[in-house]
Amino acid sequence: MIEENHHQKILIAEELLKSFGGLKAVEHVSFSIERYGVTSIIGPNGAGKSTFFNLVNGALRVDSGRVVFKDEEITALTPSDRLRRGMARSFQITNLFFDLTVLSNLQLACQFIEDRKRLFQHISNSQRAHARAYELLESFGLQEKRDTLAGELSHGEQRRLEIAVTMASKPDLLLLDEPTQGMSHGDTNDTSELIMSLSKETTVLLIEHDVELVMGLSKHVMVMSQGMKLAEGTPSEIRGNHDVQVAYFGESQ
Amino acid sequence: MDKAGKLAIRAVEVTLFGSALILVVVGSLTGDSFYLRLATEALIFGGLALSVDLLLGIVGLLSLGQALYFGFGAYLSALILKEVYPSFWLAMCLVGICSAALGYAASFIALRSKGVYFALITFGLAQVVAKGVYNTRALGASDGLIGVPVIKLWTPIGNLDTANPAVLFTVVFLVISCLYYFVKYFLTTPMGSIWQGIRSNEHRLSFIGIESTGPKRFAFVIAAIVAGLSGALYPVLRGFVSPELLYFAVSGNAVITVVLGGVGTLVGALFGSVLLTILKSVIGTITAHHHIVIGLIFVFVVIAAPGGLVGWLRKKLNERLEMNRD
Repeated sequence: MIEENHHQKILIAEELLKSFGGLKAVEHVSFSIERYGVTSIIGPNGAGKSTFFNLVNGALRVDSGRVVFKDEEITALTPSDRLRRGMARSFQITNLFFDLTVLSNLQLACQFIEDRKRLFQHISNSQRAHARAYELLESFGLQEKRDTLAGELSHGEQRRLEIAVTMASKPDLLLLDEPTQGMSHGDTNDTSELIMSLSKETTVLLIEHDVELVMGLSKHVMVMSQGMKLAEGTPSEIRGNHDVQVAYFGESQ
Repeated sequence: MDKAGKLAIRAVEVTLFGSALILVVVGSLTGDSFYLRLATEALIFGGLALSVDLLLGIVGLLSLGQALYFGFGAYLSALILKEVYPSFWLAMCLVGICSAALGYAASFIALRSKGVYFALITFGLAQVVAKGVYNTRALGASDGLIGVPVIKLWTPIGNLDTANPAVLFTVVFLVISCLYYFVKYFLTTPMGSIWQGIRSNEHRLSFIGIESTGPKRFAFVIAAIVAGLSGALYPVLRGFVSPELLYFAVSGNAVITVVLGGVGTLVGALFGSVLLTILKSVIGTITAHHHIVIGLIFVFVVIAAPGGLVGWLRKKLNERLEMNRD
């Protein structure tokens, strides 16, 4: 049955295992993501969400298990190789080139689509990267901040630039690590709309703290607790799941 | 780089060029050799500082052993001029190629580590080589190599006599200018952007599809070439080389020069070297303890103008620009 569904699955993680010293951060978690829409991972602090996420995008190496992306095993590939195959990630803590301008940030993020020989030519010859950077400036509403240093942007703008940098590669799979972290209510709503619109053209895997946000956005949710997969299903299935209620709200409910 | 920054760099470039022109004209008219030779030396050490600034100010790597490539270039150039054939161009070509090879080989050791460890490894490599040279009789041991012949420099317009201080100054000025524009050119390319990306946030690069190792190695090799070629000019000026050229004092001095001039501005390295040389010479005539005075000046600049002299100029220009806007 899994074989039949293979072509719809953009990502399959099988039996991922990762421990740090004695602590088993992720224990035999298997999970797959279908193309398009938003798939989310939720769970209390220390549930292993971020570790799982880092195993998927290659920031961490798995102890065992395998990751298959677009029908190709990528378990041993670096984040950079994964990016070139169409998997991009954003960071929970804004992770930009703070002493470079907004445009330079985007241009750098677009550079890898250029031919390597252009590395040594004047930057104006990298027209594809340039065009893509301007496209991103516009679609993320950052035109007016073009020449501002990334470090001098407001928090909300930095978060937007963070996603713009991540989208530079037009990824098939976009991994977002708590994109609304530390945002005001208004900014959270904007971001939620942005994720929704992104998920029409690409597949989004979202890690979030904000359960309500996740329930509104996702078509499929995995709940993690203590390094293990507790449950997965549609948002309504998750809401009705007894184990999840116990993990989140305690035994009394 | 913002508008004020570009203006500041341009202003310093023009000042340096203007001063060089005046020096050559006045120097050859008055038959001066002291100031011309002093300025030549300032430019040679400016070239070394330039290579430090490429690594430190652009790529964000603090090298405390850049004298290794400088001294290597100086020794190789002295050997070629003395033992092989007294041709300036032959020496420059060979030093360029061999410095690149040395830098490439050393990068596999130095680039294994980051931050403080990178600084310590570059320092250690230079110390090892310095001690090695110091104890090698074939290289003159502690005396170094003396008796490098004064060479005639072949050019399409005829042979130039490097014994003439104005001629030698002009040649060195042109070579260092070429090195400066060579390094500066990369800043207009994507490679330069990647270097700045490494300085700014190396970890993030791998998540936007860029491996930093290659570009870092490339910068390291370019810096070795720049330092090596600058060093190659030294025996042409002085007629000898000694193990001191490889010592930490030379590497450390280059870092101080860069900080004084303005980290990451490139031209600040040359400017800083000229100023430091003038300061040393002026203060040296007043007191033998000029290192103390220079140390104090360095501390003052770091506190009062953390961006160095070019950074300070940039700030002033920025204020002026803002005022005009209002």
